[in-house]
Order: sequence, then C-alpha cells, then structure tokens
Amino acid sequence: MKNRIRESIEELSKNVQRAIREGRTDELLQTLKEQEQNRKKKLGKFQKLQMAVWRPMLHEGMDGAAELAWATMFLGFALGAYTVVLLKPFLWRWLALLPIVCGVFGPCYVRKAIKEHITWPRTGYVAYGPNRQSRWMPAATVCLGSVVIGGGLVCLMLVARRHGAISLLGIGTLAVYAATYAFWIFFMGREHSWKWGVLVFMTIGLLVIGLPVGGDYFKVWRQVALFVGLVWLGSGAATLYLYLRHTQPPAQGAE
Amino acid sequence: MTGQLRAISELDRVIHEPGRLMIVALLAAVKECDFVYLLHETEMNKGNLSSHLARLEEAGYVEIEKTYRGKVPQTLLRLTRAGRVAFDQYRKGLKAAF
Repeated sequence: MKNRIRESIEELSKNVQRAIREGRTDELLQTLKEQEQNRKKKLGKFQKLQMAVWRPMLHEGMDGAAELAWATMFLGFALGAYTVVLLKPFLWRWLALLPIVCGVFGPCYVRKAIKEHITWPRTGYVAYGPNRQSRWMPAATVCLGSVVIGGGLVCLMLVARRHGAISLLGIGTLAVYAATYAFWIFFMGREHSWKWGVLVFMTIGLLVIGLPVGGDYFKVWRQVALFVGLVWLGSGAATLYLYLRHTQPPAQGAE
Repeated sequence: MTGQLRAISELDRVIHEPGRLMIVALLAAVKECDFVYLLHETEMNKGNLSSHLARLEEAGYVEIEKTYRGKVPQTLLRLTRAGRVAFDQYRKGLKAAF
C-alpha cells in the first residue's frame, strides 16, 4: 500500500516537472482542478445518500403533531394544578383531575388524530420500526441521554445539598426541557430553522421564571408547565399552518 | 484494476440507478411507508415510481402490499431483508470507492 502511494506521488511529481519544463502548467492546473471537482462531486453524492437515510425522521416533525401533543400534556398538567389552587375552598376540587387525565392520555390522541386526518392523506404514511439501523441507535441514544441527564441532576443535587445552593438543581431541571427540545429540533425539526429561535425564547423564559424564586423548581412548576405548554402550542400550531399551506390536499382515490 | 475502480464496478446496478437509489434510501430508514409518501419525497410521477418499484420488487428488494385505510386503497411498501443487505453493501461499496 505504502509502495503504491509512493509510486503515485513519484509519478505525479515527474508529471508536474515535465509539465513545467514543457511550459504546460496551465493545462496541468486545469486537469488537477477538474479531478478535484469530480472527487467533490462524487463525495457529494455519498453525503446526499447519507442525508436521504435521515430524511424520514424530518417527516415526523414536519406537521407540528409532536409539539401539539407535548403542549396538550403540559397544558393539561398546568390547568389541573391551577384548578386545584383556584378551587381549594370548594368540595369539587376533584374537577382538577379532568385536565390532568387529558394531559396523560391526550398526547397520543392528538398526534394520532393529526397524522391520520391531515398528514397521511397529504404526504403519506410512514411507520418507524425495527430495522438494523433504527433499533439500536435510538435505544442507545435514549439510554445515553437518560444517563447523562440523570447523572447531571444527581451531581447538581449533591452539589446543591453540600453548598446550600438550591438554585443549581432548579436550573438543571429547567435545562432538561431546553435540552430535550434542542435534541428534537436537531433530529426532527431541522426543516424549520426558526424553531431554534423558539428554543432561545423558551430557555430565556424558563430562566426568567426559575431564577427569581431561588431555583426552587417545585414552587414554580405550574408556571413552568403553563409556559412550556404555551410555547409548544404556538410552535406546533405555526408548524401545522405552514404544513397545510405548503402541501396539497389529497386527490380523490389517491393510493 | 485498482481497488477503488473495482469497488465502483461491483456496485449493485439495480440500486445504483438514481431513482431507485432514492427509493431504497428512504425505505431503509423506515419500517414501512405508503406510495403517497414516496411520491411526495421523490417527486417522481406515478408511472416512474411504479416502474422503479416493480424493478425493485422483481429483484426481491421491496415488498409491496395492497391494502385499505378505511375505504381508501393504500399501497404499503417495505424493504425486504435482501434489500437491506444489498443497500448496506451498496453503501459500503460507495464509501470504499470514494
């Protein structure tokens, strides 16, 4: 292998020297430039192929269904929590269970309804499932992510206890929301670059809510759930609107 | 013949055609999808897509299932095991060539 490389370098060097001697440097440079362009073109084809394999993941996030489902969950919990506070003196506090139940079961139904009635008839049905690539990679990513997030929170908890700095734990907990959203945008929402702006807005909003109370997350979780739910509701609704605007309604009898 | 050139000559011709390569690359990332999804993603016309799918089915790389979603006919498509192996080999071959 090394000999082959040496041979080709020697040959190239001889060709260059000959070309310089014969005054054909322009021709030589042109040939080298063309060769480099061809190589880049072929490499571009390979990179495009790699991107095509990732493309179906973007299809999952193109209609805003996931964000609307998360919004249902967070808004359900937030409304449940506010109902408990507002109806404290009354006997019918159990009504707070209704939005909480919606928060638990709503996300699946919201996503399914959007996919079945809007996305699949317009841009087709896709099922993500086990194949050699998609079985291990997401599982490993989720495990690694959970270990990192869990480990990070435990470390923050230990540091917070030792130094009496409760705010660290609160900030860490709030950072999980932003990190999860960033991860989701990177893999499934990349087509809408404005979502990075939503992420920045959400992070700033969480800091504004979380910091004034000294980071005691449990004091502010109602506000946090309401804020995150509203942000995702807005972002999901905008994505769905753009999706509807840029896709054709299904033709009759389409397969 | 150098290794690089041999790798190029050994690429699977059924997959190498750009239209079919798009289809196989998309199918490789999912469990299954329908005809409308491929039509939308590849931006081919129905006739072209059908003929490429028929060629892939003939090679044993794609499985086609005609079914219904409610009352609407639906054509489900998935890559077979042989198709996944062929695509993996194609990717490795392409990587080795470039």
